[in-house]
Amino acid sequence: MAAAVQDPNRDSVAFGRQAVPQLFEQLQQRDASCRLRALTSLCDLVHEPERLYQIVTEGFIAQLQDLLKDEDPSVRTKTCELLHLLTSHSIGRLALLSSSLLPHLSDLLDDSSSSCRRNVHLVLNGLAQLPAGAQALLVLVPKLMLKLRQMEAEQEEEEALLLSTLSSCSRLDPLPALASDGVPVLGHTLSHCSPNICREATAVLMALSIPEDGKRQVCEEQVLHVLMGLLQNGDLQVQTNAAGVIMNTVIITTGKYLSLELNAVSVLLNLLSEEEGEDQRKKRKTLVIYCLRALTALAEAPEGRCLLQDQLPLLEKRSRDQDQDIRRAARTAIRVVTWTP
Amino acid sequence: MALPSHSLRDPNGMYTFSSRPRPVETRSKYREPALEQTQRQYGNIMYDRRVVRGNTFAQHPIPRPDQSDPAKQQAFRRRAIARRQAREHSRTKTPEALQGRQHVDVQTELYLEELSNVIEATDIECQTDEFLDKPATPLFIPAKSGVDAGTQIEEGELFDFDLEVQPVLEVLVGKTIEQSLLEVMEEEELACLRTQQRVFQELRNNELAEVQRLQEQERRRREEKERRVAQQKEVLKKERETAEKIAAQAFSQQYLAGLLPSVFTSLRNHGYFYDPVEKDIEVNFLPWLMAEVNDQLKKRFVARELLDTIIYEVSQKRLEEFNRLETRQDSL
Repeated sequence: MAAAVQDPNRDSVAFGRQAVPQLFEQLQQRDASCRLRALTSLCDLVHEPERLYQIVTEGFIAQLQDLLKDEDPSVRTKTCELLHLLTSHSIGRLALLSSSLLPHLSDLLDDSSSSCRRNVHLVLNGLAQLPAGAQALLVLVPKLMLKLRQMEAEQEEEEALLLSTLSSCSRLDPLPALASDGVPVLGHTLSHCSPNICREATAVLMALSIPEDGKRQVCEEQVLHVLMGLLQNGDLQVQTNAAGVIMNTVIITTGKYLSLELNAVSVLLNLLSEEEGEDQRKKRKTLVIYCLRALTALAEAPEGRCLLQDQLPLLEKRSRDQDQDIRRAARTAIRVVTWTP
Repeated sequence: MALPSHSLRDPNGMYTFSSRPRPVETRSKYREPALEQTQRQYGNIMYDRRVVRGNTFAQHPIPRPDQSDPAKQQAFRRRAIARRQAREHSRTKTPEALQGRQHVDVQTELYLEELSNVIEATDIECQTDEFLDKPATPLFIPAKSGVDAGTQIEEGELFDFDLEVQPVLEVLVGKTIEQSLLEVMEEEELACLRTQQRVFQELRNNELAEVQRLQEQERRRREEKERRVAQQKEVLKKERETAEKIAAQAFSQQYLAGLLPSVFTSLRNHGYFYDPVEKDIEVNFLPWLMAEVNDQLKKRFVARELLDTIIYEVSQKRLEEFNRLETRQDSL
């Protein structure tokens, strides 16, 4: 339908099936503003699944490769936005993975324009949600860690996205991130004040502390200290993730003794004994489970067992909780606390 | 190329020539004629050098049109010059004027003519007047012809807007709502998927932690067990060693008990314990004694030998003496 008022930032769109090919032809032109308009129109169109399907199946993605190397930063930014919209659908993600755009995207990570970088991070984040995508991005993990180290204070959004991508990749395979000194770097980011970043950083730490090497590094790098502080943070997600890291770390003996020194037991018990309303219950479920598991691990040490034997009534109360998982966790905890050699 | 001029030979012998009027081309004197008829530069005939102006009586004839070949041109010029020279030579000229006189041209006709280069001409000029103001031409209104007719669409005659717009509106609204519903459903689906993923992740983390804890526990217990078993083994080994040591000690003691006296006995047997005086006597004194005794005996022996020898000699001599005596006796 012919628009009565033409948006000056958008190109006119042909009807039906011709829309996408025509816009892609427009993209070949020399004039940068023309390309920008065509890209804006494409971004609008891509919200429709049929157009997206058309773009993916008729192989237009390869043309975007040249646009990624364009001199005009706004063109690059728009292209990345388009790619981000593509990643919201499964076929888009698969197409993006099978095309050879990933190396160019990783080059754009060092781009000068910050909005371009943000969009690239959005794309990578979207890709990392898919396991195959996370697998493909594992090779990028060292570079991402490097970027994290160089990240300055103002780029909060980028940092949050970067950390989110890292957490998805590390959940699949934590070894590359560990190899690039993941734990010390993340320890620094933990002292950041923003809750978003804290949340993402603790999520990455949780994924990294699953292999034994990671656990050892967490103990060595004095991160437990910071984590104890974070346990009393206001944000629920941050608390949950911090509890998760502790839960993973106290499995090894060093972790156990370190946490006992730092008085982890009382903090965790505080968290457990907080009374919660109905709506809060669902959200706090994970936190409660993690705390219980951490306490279970701590109870294997003799000192921990002594401390926790006094707290058996609390654990018993939890074992009668409504949720099945909490019950199971609490029962395991009680079993470990009351074990004698 | 079709020439604008045609010349025909009539069968009667009449010759006709027709030519389409065309402007004269300007071209410089020694230039070739332009072959293309499109590039004509039309010039003003008044300023064309080829057109003769004014009185033609006194002027020399028009030079012949240029020849195309410059060599031919040169030859022609040379021939012209030669011809002129030949003519001059053959013509009889008036004899030269005498000294102090000169020839003058004089007209000898009846009526004298003024010869001058100035040609009589009259100037005539013409000029148009200014445009006179003219009133504006009246609008041309053609005479009316045909029949007048008029029409008007009244309210409600063509269509009823409210009725007609309904299906269109329904489609529009329906499509919009459908699209938005789709989008909302997609978002919900995504949110659902994310929640599910999160829940799964948490469960997995939990179970992973549990598994790892149990693994750790198992490992610790196993190590403890191994340590204890190793310790026990150590103890046993020590005990065994101690027993062996004791046995060895006892045996060796017993073995070595009889060692000392036997050693002494054997030493004594071998003569390692001796009385020094006795030894000394044996070693030093007795050999000397024996040697002395030997010497003495030797001396005696030597003496006896000597004696024996003496006795023998004496007896031999006596024998000889006696033999001599005997013989003498015999002989006597």
